Amino acid sequence: MHPRSWPVRLLGIALCSLACTNNPYPNADDGKKVYYSSFSEPPRTLDPAVAYTTTEHEVTGAVFDTLLEYHYLKRPYELIPGLAVRVPVAEPLPEGRVRYTFELRPELRFQEDECFRRFGAAASREITADDVVFQVQRIADPQVNSPVVEPFSNLLGFSEFSARLAKLGKDDGTFSKLPARERYRRAGGIEGIKSLDARRLQLTLGAAYPQILYWFAMPFSTPVPWEAVEHYDGKEGRAPLQDHPVGSGAYLLSEYDRQARIVLSRNPNWYGLGHPEWTAPGAVFPSDGEPGDFGPGAIEPARKGLPLAQIVRAEYRREKEAIPAFTKFLQGYFDNSGIINESFDKVVRDDRLSDEMKSYGMRLDKSVEASIYYIGFNMEDPVVGTAAGERGRKLRQAMSLVVDTVEFLRLFANGRGVPAQTLLPPGLYGYDPARKNPYRALDLERAKALLAEAGYGDGIDPKTQRPLHLTFDTADTSPEGRQAVQFHVNNWRKLGIDVEIAATTYNKFQQKVRDGAYQLFQWGWVADYPDPENFLFLLWSEMARSKHNGPNTANFKHAEYDKLFLAMKSMENSPARLGIIQRMLAILEEERPWIEMYHREQYALYHGWFAGVKAAGLSVPTLKYQDLDPVVRRQKRADWNRPVLWPMYLLGLLLLLAAVPGVRSYLKERQ
Amino acid sequence: MLAYVVRRTCFGALVVLGVLLFLFLLFFGVTSPDDIARRAIGDKAMPHVIEQWKKNHGYDKPRLPGPGHLTDNLLVEHYRRMLTFDFGKSDADNTPIVDRLKHGAVPSLCLTVPEFLLGLLLGIWSALVVALFRGTYIDKSTTILCVVLMSVPILLFIIGGQYLIGKQLRWFPISGWERGSSAMWRFLALPVIVGVLSGFGGTVRFYRTVFLDEVYRDYVRTARAKGAGDMRILLRHVLPNAMIPVLTAVVMEIPFLFTGSLLLEAAFGIPGLGSLTVDAINANDFATLRTMVFIGSLLFVAAQIMTDIGYTLVDPRVRLE
Amino acid sequence: MVSALTNSHHTSNVVVLLLVLGGLWLGWRVKRNEPWHDALADAFRRGPTAWCVLGLYVLVALADSVAWKGGVSAAAPDQVARFEAKSLLDRAVGGKTEKSYSAPLATREFARDRPLVRPGTHLLGTDKLGRDVLFVTLKGARVALLVGGFTSLIAIPLALLFGVLAGYFGKWIDDGVFFVMSTLASMPSVLLLVAMITALPRGTIWVCVALGVTSWVGFCRLARGETFKLRELDYVNAARALGASHARIIVRHILPNLLHLVLIRFVLLFSALVLSEAVLSWLNIGVDGSWGQMVAQAKNELSRDPIVWWNVAGATVGLVGLLLSINVVGDTIRDALDPRTRGDRA
Repeated sequence: MHPRSWPVRLLGIALCSLACTNNPYPNADDGKKVYYSSFSEPPRTLDPAVAYTTTEHEVTGAVFDTLLEYHYLKRPYELIPGLAVRVPVAEPLPEGRVRYTFELRPELRFQEDECFRRFGAAASREITADDVVFQVQRIADPQVNSPVVEPFSNLLGFSEFSARLAKLGKDDGTFSKLPARERYRRAGGIEGIKSLDARRLQLTLGAAYPQILYWFAMPFSTPVPWEAVEHYDGKEGRAPLQDHPVGSGAYLLSEYDRQARIVLSRNPNWYGLGHPEWTAPGAVFPSDGEPGDFGPGAIEPARKGLPLAQIVRAEYRREKEAIPAFTKFLQGYFDNSGIINESFDKVVRDDRLSDEMKSYGMRLDKSVEASIYYIGFNMEDPVVGTAAGERGRKLRQAMSLVVDTVEFLRLFANGRGVPAQTLLPPGLYGYDPARKNPYRALDLERAKALLAEAGYGDGIDPKTQRPLHLTFDTADTSPEGRQAVQFHVNNWRKLGIDVEIAATTYNKFQQKVRDGAYQLFQWGWVADYPDPENFLFLLWSEMARSKHNGPNTANFKHAEYDKLFLAMKSMENSPARLGIIQRMLAILEEERPWIEMYHREQYALYHGWFAGVKAAGLSVPTLKYQDLDPVVRRQKRADWNRPVLWPMYLLGLLLLLAAVPGVRSYLKERQ
Repeated sequence: MLAYVVRRTCFGALVVLGVLLFLFLLFFGVTSPDDIARRAIGDKAMPHVIEQWKKNHGYDKPRLPGPGHLTDNLLVEHYRRMLTFDFGKSDADNTPIVDRLKHGAVPSLCLTVPEFLLGLLLGIWSALVVALFRGTYIDKSTTILCVVLMSVPILLFIIGGQYLIGKQLRWFPISGWERGSSAMWRFLALPVIVGVLSGFGGTVRFYRTVFLDEVYRDYVRTARAKGAGDMRILLRHVLPNAMIPVLTAVVMEIPFLFTGSLLLEAAFGIPGLGSLTVDAINANDFATLRTMVFIGSLLFVAAQIMTDIGYTLVDPRVRLE
Repeated sequence: MVSALTNSHHTSNVVVLLLVLGGLWLGWRVKRNEPWHDALADAFRRGPTAWCVLGLYVLVALADSVAWKGGVSAAAPDQVARFEAKSLLDRAVGGKTEKSYSAPLATREFARDRPLVRPGTHLLGTDKLGRDVLFVTLKGARVALLVGGFTSLIAIPLALLFGVLAGYFGKWIDDGVFFVMSTLASMPSVLLLVAMITALPRGTIWVCVALGVTSWVGFCRLARGETFKLRELDYVNAARALGASHARIIVRHILPNLLHLVLIRFVLLFSALVLSEAVLSWLNIGVDGSWGQMVAQAKNELSRDPIVWWNVAGATVGLVGLLLSINVVGDTIRDALDPRTRGDRA
């Protein structure tokens, strides 16, 4: 070995120990109120008419302000005015129609953007009611392909407008090249949404649909400037609209590399910053909430009434893998995080934060998500579906009686879930904690008896004299996913039923669903808004997957259920509505198109320096309510991330030692 | 000589065309334009939206040539686009592929080039040392170490490396990426270490065999008899003569430097070209996939031609066919 | 664990029988043939441990390949198992299932602290679904040997066929084969594998086919080069002059000289294939029950706090043990056959 290489090696180790650190952020940002978080799935589009995923909503919720908002703290969820002055009340009209009138605040402005300069002199302009009308027209535009056409179809003339646009486009080849505003004008607009003047907006619905107000609390109905739609068309080097949102919210999108990083910066044109004297409900921290929201360990009472948008910048980094992301959270490089299964035992002890995590200064927030996760049967399958009649029903009931949700949650979700008796989650109207689904208890004996009654005694299929063979289709090929399904299969094997797992790629799975070639599957649904209709519609026959490509993947078709659904759909909450809901749940209990598993519980972890947080079970924009202390954060990060350097020195020493005998023998050989 | 170069280049061009054909058949044997559309738009898409999407992206044609549409089909389009280097936009998110290539090339090269050079230097150096000390316990222990390292799957290196170095010792970040030269090397340290370590065993064994093959030859014995020192022999005689197989191996690696290491980039979250390819596979993004494969095959064929030419230049014993 | 209610165990039993018979026949031939006998003995002498370890793996794999139905009690919780074929290994070691994780030789569950069904009997603990990790590791031996062995049996004859034909006949055949080889080599193998596995039906055999089709190129190039050289040898020219047919020359003169290359390449390919399958398992398209799949799970388990290390430990020992012994055995064979080192007493 070359003696000359020793100093080089020592120098290398010395340099390394000076520069070793695992901080991924530039040092300049250390003292600023910058919020760091992560996302795993890149957003596909930030067009508010189309964006639907959690990541996309995290951005659009901060960038786009809506007419109404959800109260940050109150549960069950309550609507408060956002851009609108007050929450409108339904005015009944003749022939069952309903009208709502919104009034926008004065002097609301869009964020500064070059698209305004192209069509005018200024870099921004005032928001008008026409901007909301324009956006709702965009939802109706077939070219935009919005996923929320269905709820907005309750507006009078919405579907007709959409059809007229489609027809004009087909008849005239040049029509689709015209700018959007011109096209909507030529198609005559939507009768059910009109601007009365610059600041007043009127909605007219063909029939009562109280849930429409929830849709005006979501970014789908935010005011959108036509300048942005025309300017950001993806030509001549300009970004397409899906990559360049122009809104009026507390934040604007300042950096967007969808595969790696999303950065939001505070919007100086936001009304909360421009007009603090308004103390508008959407621009100050709420003073009331649930009992226990304010106090030690929760939100400081001093925060009540403080102006919002304390955080100056929010940086979201792409983390494809959950474990490194969580490790970075523990190191202080992300300000909040969920909990991953692998670290659960370290973080949570006896349902509360472990002492180790408390010493970090962390806080734990639990909330039950308005969701339902279930195993479904394809009701159009000849063996497990409606065609099998009484036999099929008893088979489904038997299989439902051996699915052990509590153990499943313990194994695969660390108990983070509420076992479901019906499909309605806690917090929703119609949820009854005392209601027990007779087929969601664990009863192996009863299941065996039912199976025998169905003609499958001991699980044997009389046609083949072997165990009944069913297939469970899943698109989750990961080891965790397979194990989860295997758990259910093991339980069904106790009945003697042989369920085969078909874990295929996402494409193949979707193809099978389209072809109707599936028997058992698992799925989940998270509520769009807090109304039971948003869950019960999942089993409405009009939503069947096979017919209309809707979310009713079980293809459940039940005449009485459909009738009851149409009745309760647009009712206001009342004992009559409750009665109908309970009858619908009873039907589902007997028919068993689904085996309801659980409602997911979200555990959120926050570092001690992160303030003003409350977990939201729905997709509610929260960034403007949050705050952080960068000085404390910098200190903690330094404390928690001192590099352990002694192994490096040890390694160097060992290498030197190992060389000695070799050098000695070499020198001996030379002589 | 010129005729030989021309012949090899023509052959190379044919290979690239063959690769494009094979890729086309493989991909469209497994998926269809409808599938690509659905993956891009989302599953709730109505049929007319899918048709619109296919028209926008040029997928509304029949796949293969047939009567009535000899040139207006996907296969011909495929060739035309690639051979004119018109890569177009990604099917999954509509971004221009050239931009993604430019963005991805830097991280990939920053990972593969240091890993390659370091692995090469370390490998050759270790092999020389082993050749120098052949027969002693250094030789034996290194050989055993190499065999053990070769028997460990790279996945274990990745998992172990992330656990040990990233989590327990906290020397470097576990994964991720930050643009800007000062921060970059911190994210590269761990993947480079893992890459070099996992390849070390095979590399050293290979070069050891090559060097030992040379060392046992007659001219080395003559040189020793004439009194030349071991070091001198190794560096001045053995190394140059062993260069041919070394060079072959090195040049054939160069195309893969550009296409990026798929596994390392995926595991360490480095947004390079390898990561781009894996994402494209998962998202059924045919436009990006064929671009990556086309470029990869071009580079591979170019490297092969250069190797063959270099071979004939350096070794007069090889007959020109 | 896919349903095993088919009758595929019959095929498996027949294959094992054939393998055993074939092995016995080969052993009898080798004993009769002096140089082969000496070479084999020499190779064994150079690394007896590695040979024995390899033999152990083969034994375990064979034990898992011989299966028959029946013999499962009616009171067992798993009612479907009565109709499934259980192998020798299953009957000897399997059947001890807990609810979830437990540490090696523990008496209580890992996270929950409930008592185990069979405390202290799990040498390597249990995995997430409660299966005994030692049992799962042993079962992985069969998968690894199947992936390595069966795939090599596809890849090597394929490579030999094309390589020898290309090298011997030259001209158009050579151009054609070289063209196909270059085309396949220019495409990233991950892409090819993913596309093929997505297109082919599910099953271990088809993963082997896909792996085989993507790994024959390397050896083909070597075989082609060697055949070029061998073709020019004097005695081959003489045989041609004497009027021997092409087939006879190939079989009697060229193939035997390639045999040592085949053996060495088999060893290299075997290791490479097992490692490739591990990568496929990490991408979630590998073979069910392989060690690669266990390692893929380890990614999550090692990050647990407290960590679950026995799953990955079992898979690592299985993988490294197999690959190490294969590599050493390959080295001993090569040294035994190499004229330069033959005759050396290690």
